[in-house]
Amino acid sequence: MRFQDAARDGRAIVYAGIQADPLVKRAAMLLAEATPAQRVLARAVMNGETTEPMGWIEMFPTLLGGSVPAGPERARSEALLGASLEVAERGEQVRSQFRGAIVEELTAILLARRVGDAGVRRERRILFDGVRTEIHPYDVTVEREGAAEAYDCKWGARGINDDVLHQLDDARGHAAEEDETLRVALVVFDAERSCEVRLERQYAPRDGTAIVALESLDRLSAGGPGAPGAP
Amino acid sequence: MSANTVDEAIERALEAYARLTERAEEIEDEWSYVNDLSSAWRDRLALVPGSSAGGPLDPAIDAAIDRLIDEADRITDPHRAIDWLSTFPQVALLALGETP
Repeated sequence: MRFQDAARDGRAIVYAGIQADPLVKRAAMLLAEATPAQRVLARAVMNGETTEPMGWIEMFPTLLGGSVPAGPERARSEALLGASLEVAERGEQVRSQFRGAIVEELTAILLARRVGDAGVRRERRILFDGVRTEIHPYDVTVEREGAAEAYDCKWGARGINDDVLHQLDDARGHAAEEDETLRVALVVFDAERSCEVRLERQYAPRDGTAIVALESLDRLSAGGPGAPGAP
Repeated sequence: MSANTVDEAIERALEAYARLTERAEEIEDEWSYVNDLSSAWRDRLALVPGSSAGGPLDPAIDAAIDRLIDEADRITDPHRAIDWLSTFPQVALLALGETP
Protein backbone atom coordinates (compact mmCIF):
# COMPACT_ATOMS: atom_id res chain seq x y z
CA MET A 1 0.00 0.00 0.00
CA ARG A 2 1.35 3.40 -0.92
CA PHE A 3 0.02 6.94 -1.23
CA GLN A 4 0.29 9.25 -4.20
CA ASP A 5 -0.76 12.81 -5.03
CA ALA A 6 -3.89 13.02 -7.16
CA ALA A 7 -3.56 14.10 -10.78
CA ARG A 8 -3.74 17.87 -11.22
CA ASP A 9 -6.53 18.08 -13.76
CA GLY A 10 -8.58 21.20 -14.45
CA ARG A 11 -11.11 20.50 -11.74
CA ALA A 12 -8.39 19.91 -9.18
CA ILE A 13 -6.65 23.18 -10.06
CA VAL A 14 -9.85 25.20 -9.71
CA TYR A 15 -10.73 23.45 -6.46
CA ALA A 16 -7.21 23.99 -5.12
CA GLY A 17 -7.83 27.72 -5.46
CA ILE A 18 -10.91 27.41 -3.26
CA GLN A 19 -9.08 25.24 -0.74
CA ALA A 20 -6.40 27.93 -0.48
CA ASP A 21 -8.89 30.77 0.12
CA PRO A 22 -8.23 32.27 3.60
CA LEU A 23 -11.97 32.10 4.37
CA VAL A 24 -11.83 28.29 4.22
CA LYS A 25 -9.04 28.13 6.78
CA ARG A 26 -10.66 30.75 9.04
CA ALA A 27 -14.05 29.03 9.05
CA ALA A 28 -12.50 25.61 9.62
CA MET A 29 -10.40 26.85 12.53
CA LEU A 30 -13.47 28.37 14.17
CA LEU A 31 -15.41 25.13 13.62
CA ALA A 32 -12.60 23.08 15.13
CA GLU A 33 -13.12 24.96 18.42
CA ALA A 34 -16.90 25.06 18.14
CA THR A 35 -19.57 23.27 20.13
CA PRO A 36 -22.06 21.05 18.26
CA ALA A 37 -24.66 23.83 18.51
CA GLN A 38 -22.26 26.34 16.96
CA ARG A 39 -21.59 23.86 14.16
CA VAL A 40 -25.34 23.67 13.50
CA LEU A 41 -25.39 27.48 13.32
CA ALA A 42 -22.65 27.42 10.68
CA ARG A 43 -24.44 24.65 8.78
CA ALA A 44 -27.69 26.62 8.67
CA VAL A 45 -26.14 29.94 7.67
CA MET A 46 -23.82 28.54 4.99
CA ASN A 47 -26.78 26.96 3.21
CA GLY A 48 -29.45 29.46 4.14
CA GLU A 49 -31.34 32.05 2.14
CA THR A 50 -30.95 35.02 4.46
CA THR A 51 -27.65 36.85 4.33
CA GLU A 52 -28.36 39.54 6.91
CA PRO A 53 -27.19 38.68 10.42
CA MET A 54 -30.19 39.80 12.49
CA GLY A 55 -32.37 36.96 11.30
CA TRP A 56 -29.80 34.40 12.38
CA ILE A 57 -29.17 36.13 15.69
CA GLU A 58 -32.89 35.85 16.40
CA MET A 59 -32.97 32.22 15.25
CA PHE A 60 -30.22 31.12 17.66
CA PRO A 61 -31.12 32.67 21.02
CA THR A 62 -29.03 30.18 22.99
CA LEU A 63 -25.88 31.24 21.09
CA LEU A 64 -26.45 34.85 20.11
CA GLY A 65 -29.42 36.07 22.15
CA GLY A 66 -29.43 38.93 24.62
CA SER A 67 -29.14 36.59 27.57
CA VAL A 68 -25.86 35.09 26.37
CA PRO A 69 -23.03 36.85 28.21
CA ALA A 70 -20.02 38.35 26.50
CA GLY A 71 -17.07 35.99 26.51
CA PRO A 72 -15.21 33.46 24.38
CA GLU A 73 -18.28 31.34 23.58
CA ARG A 74 -20.36 34.25 22.37
CA ALA A 75 -17.38 35.69 20.50
CA ARG A 76 -16.91 32.38 18.70
CA SER A 77 -20.61 32.25 17.80
CA GLU A 78 -20.40 35.76 16.38
CA ALA A 79 -17.22 34.98 14.46
CA LEU A 80 -18.77 31.80 13.06
CA LEU A 81 -21.86 33.72 12.00
CA GLY A 82 -19.68 36.26 10.21
CA ALA A 83 -17.56 33.64 8.42
CA SER A 84 -20.62 31.59 7.49
CA LEU A 85 -22.36 34.64 6.02
CA GLU A 86 -19.24 35.31 3.93
CA VAL A 87 -19.58 31.79 2.55
CA ALA A 88 -23.30 32.24 1.90
CA GLU A 89 -22.68 35.47 0.01
CA ARG A 90 -20.44 33.74 -2.54
CA GLY A 91 -23.36 32.53 -4.67
CA GLU A 92 -24.89 29.11 -5.00
CA GLN A 93 -22.28 27.17 -6.98
CA VAL A 94 -19.23 28.69 -5.34
CA ARG A 95 -20.53 28.38 -1.82
CA SER A 96 -21.21 24.71 -2.40
CA GLN A 97 -17.52 24.25 -3.20
CA PHE A 98 -16.53 26.35 -0.19
CA ARG A 99 -18.67 24.23 2.10
CA GLY A 100 -16.98 21.06 0.89
CA ALA A 101 -13.53 22.58 1.25
CA ILE A 102 -14.34 23.76 4.78
CA VAL A 103 -15.43 20.29 5.90
CA GLU A 104 -12.21 18.84 4.50
CA GLU A 105 -10.08 21.50 6.17
CA LEU A 106 -11.91 20.99 9.46
CA THR A 107 -11.25 17.25 9.22
CA ALA A 108 -7.56 17.88 8.56
CA ILE A 109 -7.27 20.29 11.50
CA LEU A 110 -8.93 17.88 13.93
CA LEU A 111 -6.79 14.96 12.74
CA ALA A 112 -3.59 17.02 13.00
CA ARG A 113 -4.28 17.54 16.69
CA ARG A 114 -3.88 13.79 17.14
CA VAL A 115 -1.15 12.90 14.67
CA GLY A 116 0.60 16.21 13.92
CA ASP A 117 0.50 18.35 10.79
CA ALA A 118 3.10 16.28 8.95
CA GLY A 119 1.00 13.13 9.09
CA VAL A 120 -2.08 14.63 7.47
CA ARG A 121 -2.29 14.87 3.67
CA ARG A 122 -4.96 16.04 1.23
CA GLU A 123 -6.24 14.78 -2.14
CA ARG A 124 -4.28 11.54 -2.13
CA ARG A 125 -4.73 8.27 -3.96
CA ILE A 126 -3.96 4.95 -2.37
CA LEU A 127 -2.27 2.36 -4.55
CA PHE A 128 -2.32 -1.41 -4.02
CA ASP A 129 -0.38 -4.06 -5.91
CA GLY A 130 -2.41 -5.54 -8.73
CA VAL A 131 -5.42 -3.29 -8.14
CA ARG A 132 -6.57 -0.62 -10.57
CA THR A 133 -6.28 2.82 -9.02
CA GLU A 134 -9.51 4.57 -8.06
CA ILE A 135 -10.20 7.72 -10.07
CA HIS A 136 -11.20 9.85 -7.13
CA PRO A 137 -8.61 10.68 -4.49
CA TYR A 138 -9.38 10.55 -0.79
CA ASP A 139 -10.10 13.97 0.69
CA VAL A 140 -7.85 13.53 3.72
CA THR A 141 -5.38 10.83 4.66
CA VAL A 142 -3.24 10.09 7.67
CA GLU A 143 -0.04 8.51 6.45
CA ARG A 144 1.80 6.74 9.23
CA GLU A 145 3.61 3.42 9.15
CA GLY A 146 1.24 0.75 10.40
CA ALA A 147 -1.53 3.23 11.27
CA ALA A 148 -2.83 4.75 8.06
CA GLU A 149 -6.28 6.32 7.77
CA ALA A 150 -8.38 7.50 4.83
CA TYR A 151 -11.30 9.92 4.95
CA ASP A 152 -13.89 11.17 2.55
CA CYS A 153 -15.82 14.25 3.59
CA LYS A 154 -19.41 15.27 2.86
CA TRP A 155 -21.35 18.41 3.62
CA GLY A 156 -24.64 16.61 4.14
CA ALA A 157 -26.09 13.16 4.68
CA ARG A 158 -27.36 13.18 1.11
CA GLY A 159 -23.74 12.90 0.00
CA ILE A 160 -23.57 9.39 1.43
CA ASN A 161 -23.88 6.88 -1.40
CA ASP A 162 -22.87 3.37 -2.33
CA ASP A 163 -19.97 4.53 -4.51
CA VAL A 164 -18.16 6.30 -1.70
CA LEU A 165 -18.90 3.52 0.77
CA HIS A 166 -17.58 0.92 -1.69
CA GLN A 167 -14.43 2.93 -2.34
CA LEU A 168 -13.64 3.22 1.36
CA ASP A 169 -14.42 -0.41 2.08
CA ASP A 170 -12.45 -1.61 -0.94
CA ALA A 171 -9.40 0.36 0.20
CA ARG A 172 -9.66 -1.12 3.68
CA GLY A 173 -9.99 -4.61 2.22
CA HIS A 174 -7.09 -4.24 -0.20
CA ALA A 175 -4.90 -2.98 2.64
CA ALA A 176 -5.81 -6.03 4.71
CA GLU A 177 -4.84 -8.27 1.78
CA GLU A 178 -1.39 -6.69 1.99
CA ASP A 179 -1.32 -7.20 5.76
CA GLU A 180 -1.60 -3.45 6.25
CA THR A 181 -4.00 -1.60 8.51
CA LEU A 182 -6.04 1.16 6.91
CA ARG A 183 -8.82 2.69 9.00
CA VAL A 184 -11.45 4.34 6.85
CA ALA A 185 -14.19 6.81 7.67
CA LEU A 186 -16.76 9.10 6.12
CA VAL A 187 -16.95 12.52 7.74
CA VAL A 188 -20.39 14.08 7.34
CA PHE A 189 -21.13 17.63 8.48
CA ASP A 190 -24.69 16.68 9.27
CA ALA A 191 -26.67 15.17 12.12
CA GLU A 192 -26.19 11.54 13.01
CA ARG A 193 -29.93 10.97 12.70
CA SER A 194 -29.90 12.15 9.08
CA CYS A 195 -26.86 9.99 8.33
CA GLU A 196 -28.63 6.94 9.74
CA VAL A 197 -31.65 7.54 7.51
CA ARG A 198 -29.42 7.87 4.46
CA LEU A 199 -27.39 4.78 5.35
CA GLU A 200 -30.54 2.68 5.57
CA ARG A 201 -30.93 3.15 1.82
CA GLN A 202 -27.38 2.06 0.91
CA TYR A 203 -26.31 -1.46 0.07
CA ALA A 204 -22.51 -1.15 0.07
CA PRO A 205 -20.64 -2.85 2.92
CA ARG A 206 -19.94 -0.43 5.74
CA ASP A 207 -19.18 -2.50 8.82
CA GLY A 208 -15.53 -1.46 8.59
CA THR A 209 -16.25 2.18 7.81
CA ALA A 210 -16.79 4.71 10.56
CA ILE A 211 -19.37 7.42 10.03
CA VAL A 212 -18.29 10.60 11.80
CA ALA A 213 -21.29 12.90 12.05
CA LEU A 214 -21.49 16.51 13.17
CA GLU A 215 -22.04 15.61 16.82
CA SER A 216 -18.95 13.42 17.00
CA LEU A 217 -16.39 15.36 14.96
CA ASP A 218 -14.14 15.79 17.97
CA ARG A 219 -13.51 12.05 17.95
CA LEU A 220 -11.18 12.71 15.04
CA SER A 221 -8.73 14.45 17.31
CA ALA A 222 -9.44 12.48 20.46
CA GLY A 223 -8.90 8.92 19.40
CA GLY A 224 -9.48 8.08 15.81
CA PRO A 225 -12.49 7.73 13.61
CA GLY A 226 -14.22 5.15 15.75
CA ALA A 227 -14.02 2.37 13.20
CA PRO A 228 -14.02 -1.18 14.51
CA GLY A 229 -10.65 -1.88 16.03
CA ALA A 230 -9.88 1.79 16.58
CA PRO A 231 -8.41 2.75 19.93
CA MET B 1 -48.80 35.73 15.06
CA SER B 2 -46.42 33.99 17.40
CA ALA B 3 -47.12 30.82 19.30
CA ASN B 4 -47.05 31.16 23.05
CA THR B 5 -46.76 27.57 24.21
CA VAL B 6 -44.29 24.82 23.41
CA ASP B 7 -47.10 22.78 21.85
CA GLU B 8 -48.12 25.60 19.53
CA ALA B 9 -44.54 26.34 18.56
CA ILE B 10 -43.93 22.73 17.61
CA GLU B 11 -47.21 22.57 15.72
CA ARG B 12 -46.26 25.62 13.69
CA ALA B 13 -42.79 24.21 13.09
CA LEU B 14 -44.23 20.91 11.88
CA GLU B 15 -46.58 22.71 9.48
CA ALA B 16 -43.60 24.57 8.01
CA TYR B 17 -41.64 21.32 7.93
CA ALA B 18 -44.44 19.72 5.90
CA ARG B 19 -44.17 22.56 3.37
CA LEU B 20 -40.40 22.07 3.22
CA THR B 21 -40.93 18.34 2.66
CA GLU B 22 -43.26 19.08 -0.25
CA ARG B 23 -40.60 21.21 -1.91
CA ALA B 24 -37.95 18.53 -1.35
CA GLU B 25 -40.23 15.90 -2.90
CA GLU B 26 -39.80 17.65 -6.25
CA ILE B 27 -36.55 15.68 -6.60
CA GLU B 28 -38.22 12.45 -7.63
CA ASP B 29 -35.11 10.28 -7.27
CA GLU B 30 -34.96 11.22 -3.59
CA TRP B 31 -38.66 10.88 -2.81
CA SER B 32 -38.26 7.92 -0.46
CA TYR B 33 -35.22 9.39 1.28
CA VAL B 34 -37.00 12.72 1.69
CA ASN B 35 -39.98 11.10 3.36
CA ASP B 36 -37.89 8.81 5.56
CA LEU B 37 -35.82 11.80 6.65
CA SER B 38 -38.89 13.90 7.29
CA SER B 39 -40.50 11.11 9.29
CA ALA B 40 -37.39 10.55 11.43
CA TRP B 41 -37.13 14.19 12.41
CA ARG B 42 -40.88 14.55 12.99
CA ASP B 43 -40.60 11.68 15.44
CA ARG B 44 -37.75 13.48 17.20
CA LEU B 45 -39.64 16.76 17.46
CA ALA B 46 -42.60 14.92 18.94
CA LEU B 47 -40.37 13.79 21.80
CA VAL B 48 -39.60 17.30 23.04
CA PRO B 49 -40.30 17.32 26.78
CA GLY B 50 -42.90 19.77 27.88
CA SER B 51 -44.74 19.70 24.60
CA SER B 52 -47.61 17.90 26.27
CA ALA B 53 -47.59 20.21 29.26
CA GLY B 54 -48.41 23.23 27.12
CA GLY B 55 -46.44 25.60 29.31
CA PRO B 56 -45.65 29.19 28.33
CA LEU B 57 -42.79 29.73 25.97
CA ASP B 58 -39.94 32.20 26.43
CA PRO B 59 -40.58 35.04 23.93
CA ALA B 60 -37.03 34.71 22.55
CA ILE B 61 -37.63 31.04 21.77
CA ASP B 62 -41.02 31.84 20.28
CA ALA B 63 -39.41 34.44 18.03
CA ALA B 64 -36.63 31.99 17.08
CA ILE B 65 -39.17 29.43 15.90
CA ASP B 66 -41.04 32.05 13.91
CA ARG B 67 -37.81 33.22 12.32
CA LEU B 68 -36.84 29.63 11.49
CA ILE B 69 -40.21 29.07 9.82
CA ASP B 70 -39.74 32.25 7.81
CA GLU B 71 -36.30 31.07 6.67
CA ALA B 72 -37.61 27.66 5.63
CA ASP B 73 -40.50 29.23 3.70
CA ARG B 74 -37.98 31.28 1.69
CA ILE B 75 -36.37 28.15 0.29
CA THR B 76 -37.53 27.45 -3.24
CA ASP B 77 -34.73 25.20 -4.50
CA PRO B 78 -35.72 21.57 -3.85
CA HIS B 79 -32.10 20.49 -3.41
CA ARG B 80 -31.63 23.06 -0.68
CA ALA B 81 -34.96 21.96 0.78
CA ILE B 82 -33.59 18.42 1.13
CA ASP B 83 -30.55 19.76 3.00
CA TRP B 84 -32.83 21.85 5.21
CA LEU B 85 -34.96 18.85 6.09
CA SER B 86 -32.01 18.00 8.29
CA THR B 87 -31.07 21.54 9.32
CA PHE B 88 -34.56 22.79 10.23
CA PRO B 89 -35.27 20.36 13.07
CA GLN B 90 -31.77 20.74 14.47
CA VAL B 91 -32.21 24.50 14.71
CA ALA B 92 -35.69 24.10 16.18
CA LEU B 93 -34.46 21.67 18.82
CA LEU B 94 -31.57 23.95 19.79
CA ALA B 95 -33.96 26.88 20.16
CA LEU B 96 -36.13 24.75 22.43
CA GLY B 97 -33.13 23.87 24.58
CA GLU B 98 -32.86 20.33 23.25
CA THR B 99 -29.95 18.34 21.85
CA PRO B 100 -30.67 17.35 18.24
